[in-house]
Amino acid sequence: MKSKTSLPAVFISPSMIVLAVLAFVPTVFAINIAFQDKQLSSEDSHYVGLANFIALFSDRRFLNSIVVSLTWEVMTVVATMCIAVLLGILMFEAASARMRNILSVVFLIPVLMPRVSAAFVWKFAFHPLFGLAVYPYKAITGQPLDLLANPSTALATVAFVDVWQWSLFFSVIILHLLESLPHEPLEAAELDHARTWERYAYVALPMLKIPLISLTFVKMIESLRSFDLIYVMTRGGPGIKTETLDMYAFSQGFIESGNISYASSMAVLMMVATTIAFTALWKRVHA
Amino acid sequence: MALHNRLSVYLSGVLLSTALAGSAFAQSCSGSIKVLAQTRDGLTLAEKYKGEFEKLSGGATFDIDYLNENDRRAKTKADASTVGKYNVYYIDEANVALFASSKWIVPLLDYYPKQYDYSDFDPGRQKVATYDGKPWFAPLTGGGDLLVYRKDLLEKAGVQPPKTLDEFIAAVKKLHDPANGVYGIALRGQRGSGANVWRWMPYFRGFGGNWFEGNTPVFDSDAAVKATNTYLDLFKYSAPGTQTGSWDESVGAFLSGQVAMLVESTPLVGLALDPKVSKVVGKVGYLPPPTPLTGGGYGHGLAIGAKANKTEQAKACAGLFIGWVTSKENEQRRLDADQFSELNRTSIMTSDGFAKKYGADLGKALADTAKVTAVNFWQDPQWPDLGDHWGIELEELVTGTRKDVKGSLDELNEFAKGLMAKRKS
Repeated sequence: MKSKTSLPAVFISPSMIVLAVLAFVPTVFAINIAFQDKQLSSEDSHYVGLANFIALFSDRRFLNSIVVSLTWEVMTVVATMCIAVLLGILMFEAASARMRNILSVVFLIPVLMPRVSAAFVWKFAFHPLFGLAVYPYKAITGQPLDLLANPSTALATVAFVDVWQWSLFFSVIILHLLESLPHEPLEAAELDHARTWERYAYVALPMLKIPLISLTFVKMIESLRSFDLIYVMTRGGPGIKTETLDMYAFSQGFIESGNISYASSMAVLMMVATTIAFTALWKRVHA
Repeated sequence: MALHNRLSVYLSGVLLSTALAGSAFAQSCSGSIKVLAQTRDGLTLAEKYKGEFEKLSGGATFDIDYLNENDRRAKTKADASTVGKYNVYYIDEANVALFASSKWIVPLLDYYPKQYDYSDFDPGRQKVATYDGKPWFAPLTGGGDLLVYRKDLLEKAGVQPPKTLDEFIAAVKKLHDPANGVYGIALRGQRGSGANVWRWMPYFRGFGGNWFEGNTPVFDSDAAVKATNTYLDLFKYSAPGTQTGSWDESVGAFLSGQVAMLVESTPLVGLALDPKVSKVVGKVGYLPPPTPLTGGGYGHGLAIGAKANKTEQAKACAGLFIGWVTSKENEQRRLDADQFSELNRTSIMTSDGFAKKYGADLGKALADTAKVTAVNFWQDPQWPDLGDHWGIELEELVTGTRKDVKGSLDELNEFAKGLMAKRKS
């Protein structure tokens, strides 16, 4: 019996060791240098205690990047899930089986595009002089529309691209989740004269609660990693209006100062904050 | 017979000296020389002659990874300071001090073959490639600024090509006609020491501004405030897309025929003359930047990486590659291929072929602008840090998320004091 139970551990151990090394070595390294004053341009470094962490809280760009990151997270997750659910229901209600298949393939294309390519395509589409997406506005008003240079629209414009990529993909998943539901509860609601929106709001979507929560978590994690999209489209601008935490950390580490320790202290804070937030959320929804 | 003998001896001598010269060039290099570079037509052209380099080096080839300017700056810094896997780095005037003082690169002339004649490069480019008295890169591009204007639009509006900044500002305002798709000017708003700060510096230096007096930063001077206000005023007439754009957006707007004039780096001329990318061919005039603006002297080029080239032989092979790519022969190929912005050697730029191809007007404008070309930036390893910091504040001012010019410069001053304090400690 004993050999039966220990065999899985034997097979799992090598991959677990590799995973542990890959996950822990960079993390320990990042934590270690977060307490130093290491610069890219110098071999020497010294331990400076909590100095980097203390400096962060008087750094206006760091404080701004927390606000931008939170706004980005809420904006992209909420918009993606709302649009995905609505589109999924719309396809389930209105499209024939053949049309659903066609739409599913079409809706998968945006998410298959590399992020950087999508960012370049949309950046050009939003160009105030040559962009296709803003051409109608220019044709009607005679005025150029520079959404990416406008402090009040830049973040939402980049978020639009993120939502475009992910909401269409999620709508396909939601369509297939709806198709997998048993028909009886929906038919019973119909017999009780429930309106269409009521059938979904009170019957179908509550039945899909667990997969929808999982999708929301996937999107939350994905939204935290939108560095490439923002970097290509705005580089954190105008000014610092779209500078997220990862953008700012990269900027401090590799673009401007070479302040590797300062950048690492941001990364460590991000890691701690996201671990706590995700654990709390996960426990709450599974309570 | 005597003549025949003399000729034979002479020919033998020539052959022998050629063979010796060849052996001086020839190296026993092998493998692939890895190059991290910014996209340049001149390098793409050189890739077509890989076989030539392979033969010259005794068997080595080369692979070039290309990135755009900002990404190239970030990645070269990251690679050189950590793993150092590239044998050759593309660096520029803004980061040569950092690379050299950090010992990420080695002094170029220790490994640059003498036959390729480094002294033939334009003196201005040699100057910006020099730090601590030694040249660190061989130029691939460089120069200063030119005022490039649309002759047709100026003639139609009855405006004389401006020679002073006051005339320039008046002309920008007069030519600005967005209703008809023409914007007075195109500037750079995007953050960066090589982006918005680069275009702002000629105003700052032209108005008499200095970065430091001794070790004390003096950005909060009247000159800096005046320069910033002038730059921001001109932005009211700058083409859409340039508020958060850099070279690409600014030059793109001009080449598409939507900008009346701009002061930009000299490679713009090559693009403006190229019918494949320009709608303004034949409509463009050139002048030095309006007085008192200084031209922004700059240079980009190739340097020998310290970490990847562990042995003297490896450094020599990297040096041979740089020598070959920047050789007069390759530069002649670039001239033949109409790559104006890729020309750096005095012998090429003063050649009959150059004059025939680009005309006397451009030659005169280049000669005139050389007189006002200056090193506008702070030649120091901490320049990227300082310049990029100001770049963000300037972008905020341009896009209206920050209003207080003097307060911003005071903040920059404090930041610079912090940099100097760190240096002392």
